[in-house]
Amino acid sequence: MDQYILAFVTGLTTGGLSCLAVQGGLLASSLSRQVEADLLAARGSGKGRKPSAKPDQGRLAVSILLFLSAKVVMYTLLGFLLGALGSVLQLNSTARALLLIAIGIFMVGNALRMFDVHPLFRYFVIEPPHFITRYIRRTAKNSTDFVTPLFLGALTVLIPCGVTQAMMAVAVGTGSPLSGALLMLAFTLGTSPVFFAVAYFTMQLGRTMEKWFMRFVAVVVLVLGLVSIDTGLNLAGSPLSVSRLFQDAQTVQASAPVQELPAAGDGTLFLAAQNNGYSPRRLSAPAGTDLVLNVITQDTFSCARAFVIPDLGVEVLLPQNGSTPIEIPAQAAGTVMQFTCSMGMYTGEIVFGQ
Amino acid sequence: MIHKSYRVTGMSCPNCAMSIESIEDELPGIRRLAASYQKGSMEIEYDENLVSESEILAAVQRRGYQAVMN
Repeated sequence: MDQYILAFVTGLTTGGLSCLAVQGGLLASSLSRQVEADLLAARGSGKGRKPSAKPDQGRLAVSILLFLSAKVVMYTLLGFLLGALGSVLQLNSTARALLLIAIGIFMVGNALRMFDVHPLFRYFVIEPPHFITRYIRRTAKNSTDFVTPLFLGALTVLIPCGVTQAMMAVAVGTGSPLSGALLMLAFTLGTSPVFFAVAYFTMQLGRTMEKWFMRFVAVVVLVLGLVSIDTGLNLAGSPLSVSRLFQDAQTVQASAPVQELPAAGDGTLFLAAQNNGYSPRRLSAPAGTDLVLNVITQDTFSCARAFVIPDLGVEVLLPQNGSTPIEIPAQAAGTVMQFTCSMGMYTGEIVFGQ
Repeated sequence: MIHKSYRVTGMSCPNCAMSIESIEDELPGIRRLAASYQKGSMEIEYDENLVSESEILAAVQRRGYQAVMN
């Protein structure tokens, strides 16, 4: 659920205006023709026939809504296909980790492109072929009816903005058609209010304002990219991720309310998978002996249910309530075994002692 | 028919390239105009009897970009 909210908020805050910068011309071009046609129809061809001529606001709103509806539908379908692509690839946790890191690099590259650090970073955005942009432009130019905004809204799927492209990569990473569709739906719905408001009130961002806004977008994309790389590192079982170091520091300072767990017995360990992560985050275990780790869930709905131990290739979907035993072969003293949720959001480790 | 290529500065996203390409519809005599944000370039093919190079470059400038011949 968290990822859909994040996608919606990303759409609302950065996606809307970023997409407007790329696709807005298409909508504006179509609408300006329509407004022009409305004005001409209202005024007639001669001067002073109908002095209070105004473009038909209702018709304008309907056109924008049709454009946006078609856009939402197409991107949801695209999300479905991208999620399906991710599921066909049957990604294990290592492949997902690599994909997340790749997505992160793509997003960071896009952010550096927006900062105009070097022309090389321009290759982090996909440029639609000339014949597609020409076709879209000419369709937009010659339109005044209601079918056209619908058609043009659908065509925006061919010219996604940088933030949308990053979100598309995340949709592949979900590995599920439904999740991919919902993610893109949440994101595109998030972009819609800004799109509607700016298009309806026909406001234009001034050049200075646009420049500052693009910097803000770049910072957000940069942060999202770094978060993606970080979760990829978690999922790969790397102890060097920022969130893991941060969680370690938190663990030292104060421990979260721990779900009551049975006492660890001979060769048995207990771990609580809670909605806000794993508890305790650091488990101590004896070295040189086979162990059973019992992961206990109690009304757990978060992604903590998708439990992963990268070093052992363990990937288990825990039940909402219950205890799931996981066998851990004997480990040498000093081994630190990382565990994480499948999203790389919640982490912890088992430290093997004497 | 004349064919020329230019280096274009001021583009910040692929939409800028689309904006430059719309000159194709604005001026007569342009057979082909392809701009690339990634390469920071523009290629044109035009009929010198119908449109001049300076008219095309002025249209690029009106859109907020600068084109310099390679």
